[in-house]
Amino acid sequence: MNLASPRRAAASLARNLALVLIGLCFVVPLAWLVLASIDTSPSQRTEVPEGFTLANYQAVLTFDGTLLPLWNSTLLSTGTAIVTVLVAVLAAYPLSRYQSRFNKPYLYAILFGTCLPITAIMVPVYSLFVRLGYLDNLAAVTFFMAATSLPMAIWMMKNFMDSVPVSLEEAAWVDGASAMGTLRRIVVPLMRPGIAVVFIFVFIQAWGNFFVPFILLLSPAKQPAAVSIYSFFGQYGTVAYGELAAFSLLYSLPVIALYVLVSRGIGGSFALQGAVKG
Amino acid sequence: MHRTRATLAFAVVTAATVALVGCSADSGGGDDDTIRIVYQKTDAFVALDDLFKKVKPEFEKANPGITVSLEPIVADEADYGTKLALMQQSPDTAPDVFYEDTFKVRSDVDAGYLLNLDEYLADWSDWSQFNEGAKEAGRADDGSVYAVPLGTDTRGIWYSKSVLEEAGVSLPWEPKSWEEILDTARKVHAASPDKVAFNVYSGKPAGEGSVMQGFGMLMYGTDDELYDADEKKWVTGSQGFVDSLAFIETLYSEGLAPAPDVALDGSMWQKLFGEWFPNGQIGGTIEGSWSPSFWMEGGQYAWPEYVDDIGVAAFPTQNGQGDGAVSLSGGWTLAVGANSGNPDAAFDFLAMALDKENALDYNIANSQIAVRTDVAEDPAYLEANPFIGFFTDLVTSTHFRPATADYPQISAEIQAATEAVMTGQMTPEEAAAAYDEAVVGIVGEDNVTG
Amino acid sequence: MRLLPVAPSIVLLALFMVGPVVWAFYVSFTNTALTGRAARAPQWVGLDNYVDLFTDRAFPLSLLLTFVFVLGSAVIGQNLIGLGLAILMTRANRVVRAVVGTALVAAWVLPEIVAAFAAYAYFADDGTLNQLLAAIGIAGPNWLFDFPMLAVILANVWRGTAFSMLVYEAALNDVPPEITEAAIVDGAGGAKRLWWVTLPMIRSSIATNLMLITLQTLAVFTLIWVMTKGGPGMASSTLPVFAYQEAFKFQQIGYGSAIAVVMIVVGAIFSVGYIRMLRPERDT
Repeated sequence: MNLASPRRAAASLARNLALVLIGLCFVVPLAWLVLASIDTSPSQRTEVPEGFTLANYQAVLTFDGTLLPLWNSTLLSTGTAIVTVLVAVLAAYPLSRYQSRFNKPYLYAILFGTCLPITAIMVPVYSLFVRLGYLDNLAAVTFFMAATSLPMAIWMMKNFMDSVPVSLEEAAWVDGASAMGTLRRIVVPLMRPGIAVVFIFVFIQAWGNFFVPFILLLSPAKQPAAVSIYSFFGQYGTVAYGELAAFSLLYSLPVIALYVLVSRGIGGSFALQGAVKG
Repeated sequence: MHRTRATLAFAVVTAATVALVGCSADSGGGDDDTIRIVYQKTDAFVALDDLFKKVKPEFEKANPGITVSLEPIVADEADYGTKLALMQQSPDTAPDVFYEDTFKVRSDVDAGYLLNLDEYLADWSDWSQFNEGAKEAGRADDGSVYAVPLGTDTRGIWYSKSVLEEAGVSLPWEPKSWEEILDTARKVHAASPDKVAFNVYSGKPAGEGSVMQGFGMLMYGTDDELYDADEKKWVTGSQGFVDSLAFIETLYSEGLAPAPDVALDGSMWQKLFGEWFPNGQIGGTIEGSWSPSFWMEGGQYAWPEYVDDIGVAAFPTQNGQGDGAVSLSGGWTLAVGANSGNPDAAFDFLAMALDKENALDYNIANSQIAVRTDVAEDPAYLEANPFIGFFTDLVTSTHFRPATADYPQISAEIQAATEAVMTGQMTPEEAAAAYDEAVVGIVGEDNVTG
Repeated sequence: MRLLPVAPSIVLLALFMVGPVVWAFYVSFTNTALTGRAARAPQWVGLDNYVDLFTDRAFPLSLLLTFVFVLGSAVIGQNLIGLGLAILMTRANRVVRAVVGTALVAAWVLPEIVAAFAAYAYFADDGTLNQLLAAIGIAGPNWLFDFPMLAVILANVWRGTAFSMLVYEAALNDVPPEITEAAIVDGAGGAKRLWWVTLPMIRSSIATNLMLITLQTLAVFTLIWVMTKGGPGMASSTLPVFAYQEAFKFQQIGYGSAIAVVMIVVGAIFSVGYIRMLRPERDT
């Protein structure tokens, strides 16, 4: 095989070269974030820092400025992920295990739900929250965000559950275990990686969500990092590029870490299978 | 057996959801012992934040058991307006005391957000110190007062003496018509094409500024009106409207104004105060009486030399008609939320924040035109900056925006029209026609004339 | 009653998904506003909002911009570039694959608002793109002002391509090697093989991917809002930006809801189409 023709070697080289070039195009805007955050005199240009400094990080690391918003983000995202996973596991079980006339329409509805553009329903959701008195309420926003990620989560969870063999449960049923009991003791432990994938998937989405908290959480003390970083940009955007970049990176770190965890630890393509496999 | 357990589980889940959500909902409004103060704060506007931070401990000391919760919204004017409106919709999030633009008072009174202050003002001895204009600013269609102004402002031309001199313009510059402004701007442009010759705020990103420090200053200097106050009708199809847009078009298309992409950055004013004037990169601009607040010592763009380098002039009417000058006045107020759990405490806080000493400090720190006569006579106020006398005198030729509930929406349409013209997307005639159409859509055929 | 565990999901979905959709339809027939008389007592105005919407000059423009944005950045950009990258990746050097894969995925994993800042700095007048162009002697335009749609489309391609690439990589890995080998034996050329053998095999992945990215792109707000605020003028106001401006900035909730209803309907048409495309395989 290695004695491939020169033409083939050239083609292979061209392929790799093309990939590297495209990769470079993709990496340049990111390089700006990193370089500007440690630059003593950052601008919108991507350049080797004139001097190295951590002052930008120091400047943004204040309680009201970043720590409280990051804590709010943590509360919101963790809450959303927990609620979503719990509800999705419960919902996926009957859908995966029993045949019913109800299954198909419900699955179609779910599929349809994954298609609903969330930005479209923000105007009515805002009026709804006003009517229900839920505005500025972290718990209500958590449940709303859980609801918006549910269709995708149920879809993924059902696919994961389908791949857990039913024979183990049948043995337990013979022993008189209840459906919920087998779900908890047999199915859930077997699909831990799948659950982790859904959890992290939902967490990452909630962490990055800007529009929903922007409209529904109004007092600064409750706003997550996505919103406070936006007001930071609005206020200092034309001046404090270094601090903006530093704040952006601090805010991005948790999701990057989680993504690495999924792709390395649990298997990236596995996760995608759950999401995409019809 | 199975069924009951299942039903129970369902009931528990639903109840838990509602309870969880409900529990934390209590932390919203309706707390009588805490009054929530909502206001704008930006890097360049901290005067109000300073004021409230000073008043909070004094107030809490004088009113034991009551906590003042300061909730600054860090946002530009447009985003602040949106956020405040979003909060006011729900009684749970509506603030007790808030910072409100005068032009929104009437429409927000119509929406039921503001508390009628007549009874409180009757018992407030300080109220007699407020001048008539200030009392009008907070009055709604029903004749009652709903908001108390912090100060007011006027607008005129601010120019750089050095830049104009360099272009061969004789000083002091006192343009008598729009044509003279264009002449001077063209001279500046010819002398140094990379400088901004003359700025008139335009476009949606500058928000209300595009009307107050822009289109409105032109429109009110024509023979036509925006709004017929006697007939209570909006004017469409006026030549003045087209002429005003045409002036903006001339400025932008000849490159006399900032490049449209720069002008359409909502933060352009920061560059104008922070870089252009101090570095001699701009000939002149329409700006408000508050301008020195940025340049004075301790201001966001401290530049003590402004006193010598800056010149001011009244903005002329189109052809010098009328008394030859035109100005617009606005200003911001404090108001009490209609659903406040403790309106008495809320008003007391408002009154304390606007007493003579606090109003004086605020008017000086923010370069506001005083609305309290005792402040206006105070030597400290008169000496605060060298331009305050000039801009206080402009009050005689000033106009107020149409005080109608529809104004905020119509203002948005004016901003859109200026943006369409400055970017060359529409001719002045087309933009005026689109505006007319939009106005009819907003107020209805019956409330339009012309 | 075996279906009972599904109940919590139904409660949540009914309250926060179905509810708002129904509510959107209702509010779009009223003059609900954030200020003025209509804020206190909204009135039923029938089809007024829709009549206004369809005569508003901004609406057809916004619809067109949305279409251009979805077609350009999702269907063409993310989808085709993602597919191309996936094909290149399957036969690339292992190290190249790992490094380039990471670079692509990084843009995708970043929170949307951070990606938007990075894109803003990249396309700004004084930004990195013009710096690069200047290095080869080209004076670049102010992308965000002169070509706002191109800038936001490229930004969305930058941000979203990794997803399509991952989907297609996974799908291509599932294509049994015997099949491609058989095609080689038959003498089919590269392009032909791709068209006649490989693509039909991953048809369902293509459909699913298209559905997901189309609808995601239809809903993009943050990226555009941070980069251009929908401007200059209306030049990059896609439907989500248009709805936000009308509902919250101009405070006409009723009118904004009518735009939302249009978006929901557009989304529904797309998804029904895609679901029909997928159905034959699911039913077997």
